[in-house]
Amino acid sequence: MVIFRKNKFVYKLYAWLPILFLLFSVLNEFDLNYLTIEYFSFNFPFILIFYFTLKEYNRFDYLLVFIAGLVNDTVIGTPLGLSSFSYIFVCIFSVYLRNITIRPNLIKDWFYFLFVITSINSMNYLILFFFFSYDLNIMFYVINNLFTFLLYIPMTLIFNNYLKTIND
Amino acid sequence: MASSRDDFVIAFRSAFLKKENKQKFSLFTLLFISILIIILSSLNFKIIKDLKSIISEAVYRTSFIVSVPENFLINSYLKVAEYSNFYEDYKKNKEELKNFQSKEILNEIIISENDELKKLIEDFTFTRNKILAKVIVDHDSPFSKTLIINKGSKDGLKIGTNIYDENYLIGRVIETNFKTSRVLLLSDLNSNVPISISPGDVQAIVVGDGTDSGKIKYIKDNLIEDIQDQSIAYTSGTGGVFRSGAPVGRVSINQDEFSINFYSNFSQLKYVLVEIENSNSLSTTDNDQREIVLDDTESVKIKLLNDQIDILNDSNKKFFEENTELASQNKNLLIQNNKLENRIKKQTTEINQNKLDQEEFEFLKLNLLYSAKCQKSVFKKGYEVGTPEYKNCILKKGRE
Repeated sequence: MVIFRKNKFVYKLYAWLPILFLLFSVLNEFDLNYLTIEYFSFNFPFILIFYFTLKEYNRFDYLLVFIAGLVNDTVIGTPLGLSSFSYIFVCIFSVYLRNITIRPNLIKDWFYFLFVITSINSMNYLILFFFFSYDLNIMFYVINNLFTFLLYIPMTLIFNNYLKTIND
Repeated sequence: MASSRDDFVIAFRSAFLKKENKQKFSLFTLLFISILIIILSSLNFKIIKDLKSIISEAVYRTSFIVSVPENFLINSYLKVAEYSNFYEDYKKNKEELKNFQSKEILNEIIISENDELKKLIEDFTFTRNKILAKVIVDHDSPFSKTLIINKGSKDGLKIGTNIYDENYLIGRVIETNFKTSRVLLLSDLNSNVPISISPGDVQAIVVGDGTDSGKIKYIKDNLIEDIQDQSIAYTSGTGGVFRSGAPVGRVSINQDEFSINFYSNFSQLKYVLVEIENSNSLSTTDNDQREIVLDDTESVKIKLLNDQIDILNDSNKKFFEENTELASQNKNLLIQNNKLENRIKKQTTEINQNKLDQEEFEFLKLNLLYSAKCQKSVFKKGYEVGTPEYKNCILKKGRE
């Protein structure tokens, strides 16, 4: 970090990396959430938002998360506000967990994350199905949920390293 | 018990309502705004539409720029793959080109006939004013198979405008902004296209399956047997949403399931054609217009006949040229044939001569050995030299 602190711009860029990554992932055509591989997809923004909100990362602005949701809706063509709603819900669940946790435990966080994404995906499905009459494939949600859950641990390890370099 | 309930309430309130350090809004405020936006967008509120339009304009452009590195990588990979198959493709294309050239004349006649028939049945005839549009965002999602193109209401696009990849129908416009539009692809779950299946002229509806193909639905049971594998599906024009006669794909039958393999590969679209309607919808009520239509039909008929004459003249000219060439080839072959016959004659004579020479040689050889036996002398009865009896005696090696 000594090298970083010498160059303020690079350090700032590095510090804002999670939110930039979130915006990049929702803007880019290549979306991990909708891979063309059969039976494999995962929701990267959910992992990112859950992790950095849980760790109370001070540059993770909720307003930018909200805007990322709006952008995501525009790009993929879902009703405006739906992704923002999901992302903010992830934040709420995550902040709640942070507030009630005294001694953080990765495994507990992991299973709590499963509960969070299952709830949010169910809400998403219900909203799209009942309010907007979307014809949806429920298998997609099940597979997406499963892989998002499974990939939480490897992603956490990467993010832990990132936070370590920032805090050093 | 009361204490744990208090803890829950405190934690919940803290998560929901408390504005944390450096946060501009509380999560409750943002959640409230997003719910409000969802409700308003489900009610089709104008403010939300405008907001969406503004965000779309900005986001589509940004998304296009952000996706440049990724698209560059994908395109580079595709180019390398294309170069590695270059020679095989070239050979295949060459063969295909030959076939297509032979079908071209026939197609021209069919197209002219088709145009004429369409006008006669008073179908919508568009002026085929197609403009090229660039695909700026191709975001695959399970909710919607859509594309964003760089043409909008400014360029005359409306909801329902047909979109093509070359001549193949790929979808229709479902959302227009000032300079961009969203195209719903045929593979989308919410896409329904009335089609005709040829041969058999079976009417059906193709519904997107959310992947890259479509499913055929709503066929009358007694017509199912008329559908063959690899039959051609094209738009029937029923409902007036899609122009009739636009090719869609080929039918594939898999265990009593009928699906459509679209002609166009939706994941590889870079540019598309947008059919702007200079609506020449043929009205049936106005008599003057009807006359104009009939005049137009006559002129089309004349044009069609002229076209046919031109094509026949062309064909005749080709046949005549071929005939002349064949005649000259025939002449050359006859000359060659005569030459060969003469050569054979000459060779046969030579062979006969050779046979005679060989007989003479055989006689002389035997004469040396058996002349004493056959020759007439004072002490022996024989034959005069030179007589046929003498020769016969020599050939029989002196035996009588």
